[in-house]
Amino acid sequence: MITNVIHRRRRAQRLLLLLVIMLPLTMLLALGSGAVKIAPGDTLSALLGADRGQASLIVQQIRLPRVLLAAIIGATLAMSGAAMQGLFRNPLADPSLIGVTAGASLGASLLIVAGGSSLTGFMGLSLVSLAAFVGGVLAVLLVYRLASSDNGTSVATMLLAGIAITALAGAAGSLLEFFTDNERLRQISLWKMGGLDGATLPRLLLATVVAGSVLLVLPRYALPLNTLLLGESEARHLGIAVNRTKLALITWVAIGVGTSVALVGTIAFVGLVVPHIVRLLIGPDHRTLLPASALGGAILLVCADALSRTLLAPTELPVGIITALIGVPFFISLLRQRHHYGMQT
Amino acid sequence: MKRVLALCCLLAGYAGTLTAGTVTVEDFAGRSVTVPEPARRIVALAPHIVENLYSAGAGDRLVGVVSYSDFPIQARSLPRVGSFNAFSLEQILASKPDLILMWGSGNGAGALEKLERLGVPVYVSELRSLDDIPASIRRLGRLAGTEAHSETEAQRLEDGFARLAGEFGAAAPLSVFYQIWHQPLQTVNGVHLISQIITLCGGRNIFADAATLAPRINLESVLARNPRVIVAGGMETAHPEWLEHWRQYPGLQALNGGLLSVNPDLIQRPTARALDGARDLCSKLEAVRTGN
Repeated sequence: MITNVIHRRRRAQRLLLLLVIMLPLTMLLALGSGAVKIAPGDTLSALLGADRGQASLIVQQIRLPRVLLAAIIGATLAMSGAAMQGLFRNPLADPSLIGVTAGASLGASLLIVAGGSSLTGFMGLSLVSLAAFVGGVLAVLLVYRLASSDNGTSVATMLLAGIAITALAGAAGSLLEFFTDNERLRQISLWKMGGLDGATLPRLLLATVVAGSVLLVLPRYALPLNTLLLGESEARHLGIAVNRTKLALITWVAIGVGTSVALVGTIAFVGLVVPHIVRLLIGPDHRTLLPASALGGAILLVCADALSRTLLAPTELPVGIITALIGVPFFISLLRQRHHYGMQT
Repeated sequence: MKRVLALCCLLAGYAGTLTAGTVTVEDFAGRSVTVPEPARRIVALAPHIVENLYSAGAGDRLVGVVSYSDFPIQARSLPRVGSFNAFSLEQILASKPDLILMWGSGNGAGALEKLERLGVPVYVSELRSLDDIPASIRRLGRLAGTEAHSETEAQRLEDGFARLAGEFGAAAPLSVFYQIWHQPLQTVNGVHLISQIITLCGGRNIFADAATLAPRINLESVLARNPRVIVAGGMETAHPEWLEHWRQYPGLQALNGGLLSVNPDLIQRPTARALDGARDLCSKLEAVRTGN
């Protein structure tokens, strides 16, 4: 038993080390690939600003913000997913389950239909992104209120309330789309598809500040999350402020995922499956699960985005298709090796 | 043998009684559509069909249209039977049509079968090229018995396009990037009507090779293919403000007088207005070519 634990810890450290090395390598590779062929040597010199030609323009202004944004968003989605699965003790939990994605979509649709899409907000962010963020956070707060009573917050009720609010927001969004005109309909559908091609320095800055703080704060809840795996009353008896922890985790996840949806639209799958893959590899200890998921999510999204830019170049493929195409086979092969995994909670 | 002959005579006689006012026209799906007499009550299930029916001189026969049927102005006050992808079969029946004009690729899978079950002749419209516009107006004119009007209009369009082709077809080709959206960046491939108009004007769509009809495009590939002209389109209104974005890339040769904007409403629908749109785009491209 004890040797098993030591063995696991060692494995976790090895995986973390591997991911820490792989992330910068993946990002360099992604910087070097795109619709325009730039030789690896030229990529480096363009990155360091040695030449001022088209190559440096493409690498510095187009690819660099995009790769960094992909890394930050991927990390945020995966870490939020890991935290949600831990909190809900449910393998199906993913950040969109508490209504944040649907709320954000509805917020964005409302603003587009109201005609605010041509107005620019602050820091190069459109008002639409702002509305998406607000919609996402409001939906989560509503779900949380619905599931809370004097006796605390019920996880099962919260999951169900999340599904209900998601359905309601989805229906309201469809209704808006039904009545709006062609141009706005196109804006809504393109917004929903999302994508990382809107990466600009101001957006990157915003993502770094907001999502970056989520990435710093969530790992502090590793120990409470570990204790919560025993069950809520057990955690309470062990001195964890269960309800406060829940509220804090949900708020941070809502902020992180809300920002990500506002900036790049919905990217499914990263938040659901990356934490599972990591858990299958190194076990459920949140002290290593959270950072390893973040690194894994970043690597997956950077890779997927690079592929989406190059596979059909000059056409861009939606990045969500690629995250699923890369991640699912890997996930299924892990499940095949440990087919009792789904029974654990 | 006698029996067969008798049957033939019977059939011939039957056909004879029908031909009094019968019109048979082949539609764009290759089906032959027969109306017993020129159509008097027509339902059209796409905005471009409505527009073409007016061009054929039969706009006053319309008893039902779909939303976004906004041209010509009279079309706006016609009764609606739904939208192009969600129309009401009941509403169509209630308008008692004697001809339904549907949009082959736009009305959704199974639409033809559903409409045919109403027992009213259904004509499928599917316009793929500029040549299809006058051809379609001619066929609609025959179905409505307004050939005199539709023939004049079709001839005007054919002459107009032929003149543009003669004037600009052999001009020095200009590489053109046509922007139908700016965030995300979206363009059209070579199959799209807009791309055909660009070719007509002696332009070369730099993304003619793209895999899908309206692909999302990588920003860096626009810089790499460095078009001589960038045209900002849109959906309903022109978006000249999109052109500002390109000024941050000094290497683009389009910055040198090649930033244009057009009214997308004129060139995105396969209708008679495409000739006006083509004339506008051709003259703007010619101005770039000659440096004025």
